[in-house]
Amino acid sequence: MTTATSPSTSATATAWPHRHLIDVDVVTWPEIELIMRTAEEMKGILARPIRKVPALNGRRVTTLFYEASTRTRVSFETAARNLSADVVSISTATSSVTKGESLVDTVRTLEALGAEILVMRHGVSGAPYLAAEVFGGHVLNGGDGWHAHPTQALLDLYTMREHLPGGSLRGRKVAIVGDILHSRVARSNIWTLTAAGADLWLCGPATLLRGMDRWAAAWSGGAIPGHGRFNVTSDIEAALRDADVVMGLRIQRERMQGGLLPSLREYAARFQLNAERISLARPEAIVMHPGPMNEGVEISPDVAVSGRSVITDQVANGVAVRMALLYLLAGAHEAAPGEVVR
Amino acid sequence: MSAEAAGGSPGGVGLRVGETVGRFELERAWLVDPVSGREGPGEIVVTDGVLESVTWLEGDVAGSVTERGVVVAPGFFDLHAHFREPGFEDAETIATGSAAAAHGGFTTVALMPNTSPAVDEPGVLERIRSAARASGSPVEVLAYGAVSAGRAGEQLAAMGELADAGVLGFSDDGAPVRTPKLLRSALIYAGMLGLPVIDHAEDSELTVGAEAHEGYVASVMGLAGWPVAAEVGAVSRDLAVLADALADEPRARLHLTHVSTAAALDLVRRAKAAGLPVTCDVTPHHLAIADEWIAGARRWAWEALGADGAPRDPWVDRALVAAPYNTSLRVNPPLRTAADAAACLAALLDGTADAVATDHAPHTVVDKDVEFGKAANGMSGIETALGVLLALADFGALPLARAIAALTVGPARVAGAAAGPAGSSAARPRGLVEGPLADLVVFDRSDRWLVTPESLLSRGKNSPLLGRELAGRVLLTIAGGRLAYEDPGLRDGAA
Repeated sequence: MTTATSPSTSATATAWPHRHLIDVDVVTWPEIELIMRTAEEMKGILARPIRKVPALNGRRVTTLFYEASTRTRVSFETAARNLSADVVSISTATSSVTKGESLVDTVRTLEALGAEILVMRHGVSGAPYLAAEVFGGHVLNGGDGWHAHPTQALLDLYTMREHLPGGSLRGRKVAIVGDILHSRVARSNIWTLTAAGADLWLCGPATLLRGMDRWAAAWSGGAIPGHGRFNVTSDIEAALRDADVVMGLRIQRERMQGGLLPSLREYAARFQLNAERISLARPEAIVMHPGPMNEGVEISPDVAVSGRSVITDQVANGVAVRMALLYLLAGAHEAAPGEVVR
Repeated sequence: MSAEAAGGSPGGVGLRVGETVGRFELERAWLVDPVSGREGPGEIVVTDGVLESVTWLEGDVAGSVTERGVVVAPGFFDLHAHFREPGFEDAETIATGSAAAAHGGFTTVALMPNTSPAVDEPGVLERIRSAARASGSPVEVLAYGAVSAGRAGEQLAAMGELADAGVLGFSDDGAPVRTPKLLRSALIYAGMLGLPVIDHAEDSELTVGAEAHEGYVASVMGLAGWPVAAEVGAVSRDLAVLADALADEPRARLHLTHVSTAAALDLVRRAKAAGLPVTCDVTPHHLAIADEWIAGARRWAWEALGADGAPRDPWVDRALVAAPYNTSLRVNPPLRTAADAAACLAALLDGTADAVATDHAPHTVVDKDVEFGKAANGMSGIETALGVLLALADFGALPLARAIAALTVGPARVAGAAAGPAGSSAARPRGLVEGPLADLVVFDRSDRWLVTPESLLSRGKNSPLLGRELAGRVLLTIAGGRLAYEDPGLRDGAA
């Protein structure tokens, strides 16, 4: 392969050891660096007039989405097409899932139809592990329940590194604000950002932080090899003060029905990322959001489109990072007998 | 089986299940009699189904016999099992459940009434009895009646008729008795009938959508938390209602099943100290398996406990060796922390917990081979209970005799002398004494067996212990003088 048609071999100098990417908890820092380097090369491809390389020519990527999604699904499919993969797109609303087909049967069927890489989104935490148990190819998690959204965390990391001077998160203060309890984005970011050496703060109403202080306490002594400590607080000012990165998370209306929040108005009054609050952060701080946004709730419209906002960069980088992951997974080892799915 | 000199090497009986054991002799084994509290080297002889002789050996002849080899104990009594018939025969039947029970060393089982239809009138009980007879198994099948009609939590079931038909007590298990008002009536009415109410203590309002014990593991795994307060609140309610009911009916009795949290066990401990007529059981899985298994850990709960009494961190310990979100681990009440497991053990040791009950809950792959959050609650456990308790014994945390007592005299006391049809084994002496029909289990502690879908006789293969070796292969189970289970190796040896 030539560099004109494929990422250079430097990206694969370190072998990618994971058959699947379901959670970032098993990914080491050198592997994250490999993803970042590979994504950098993919971004180079995206800058070309013709954004297509034959790296995955003839490989079959299937997206199986059990939850509504626009950007993640389109991002994955664009990434796969940029690599010349054949893409099959399954939306459960129009599939036999509506007839009661089990996840296991659906996955077996997709494999029989030729799927090699399965990109999956599911509303139940852990569902991709079940898919991976029965799937002979590679599973790439596009978000499961409250558990993990590894490609989002990796594109977030990529975007932060791109904008931070020196390209490193070490010692940089990152504040994630919103519904942490129900957020797979927050959970995956905990793993990647504590590995990157960031000074991570999770902030939200106490009802939407439940259990996170317990997690933070468990990691407080730097107990997990390769991961630093992080902070959990309902004090929005403490979270934002001198932050280098501020990330808002979507607040869902269901939280009101669940008795977790009095009202969106009250949330906005206390926690909305607005211009006044953002001024607590460092002058060069960037503002992020995984989308979709509720403008006027967790983020004010002016902040969302301000010069600090890198939200559209996140979307663009998402394609590069997903291209990198598809490329790395396509080169990963095949199923080994008795292999434990992790 | 092992042919260690430490234990007698029993020959097979060469019978089919259900046939009367004509002659069975066991020389030089370790006998455990939880009624007299005696244990030691001894010999037994069964003739024509009767335990004809029990000989305790002293001195030199006893020599090399230890509690680590072949052990003889009274047949076990499971206070809490689900055999799924009628209604869910693809998960278990009375016949397969009885075979599984005997493989686990159990000779008496008490079945929960959450069948379809529920056991809320004597006709359903009669169906269960006739299925038990038809199975050919000598395992004694006892049953609870439902507290409420259809287990709907509205009106009392036909409690009096069920009592006349011989139920052991009343429970809406699978769910708590829905309201305190209904529980009070049930306790008083059941008390009048001389029977206990068995409650599954759970505040269902707090567990809507809950997936795993609310704690560190659930937080990291993104699983909806199942709070301790849901059990503590319900136990607290139950005890308050019991105290109230006693004023009207002094014979009211409450049994709390599968208590799983340190805080709820403390409430029971205090209630017992205050003289309330309450009993409780703990399960093998809550004694031995902590919530960290959902993340992929596979060490016993006592191996996951720090020196400070707090659970160790499986991520720090790099103890995650299996795939996460194994649905066999989804159970109600949920697997708790290693500290709660230690509290279950402490409760067993100090008598707060009267018995170990399996909550054997077989499910089909249709109900378990699904996403964790959609999987049915429950694990198949009647065949692994002994092995799990022996693991605790091997660790040195539970004396063998206490483990046996928790499976024999403990449950018999909970069931009470008044319970069960006349002549049932619940009312039978459960010691190793000469005279009555033999009701015993012989197992070899030194012989380990591999838990596999094939080695489990239950239709429910939903065991988190699949692939694991357990100590204490059951060699022979005799129930009511008849063969209930014989190890294939033993049988082939006899042929």
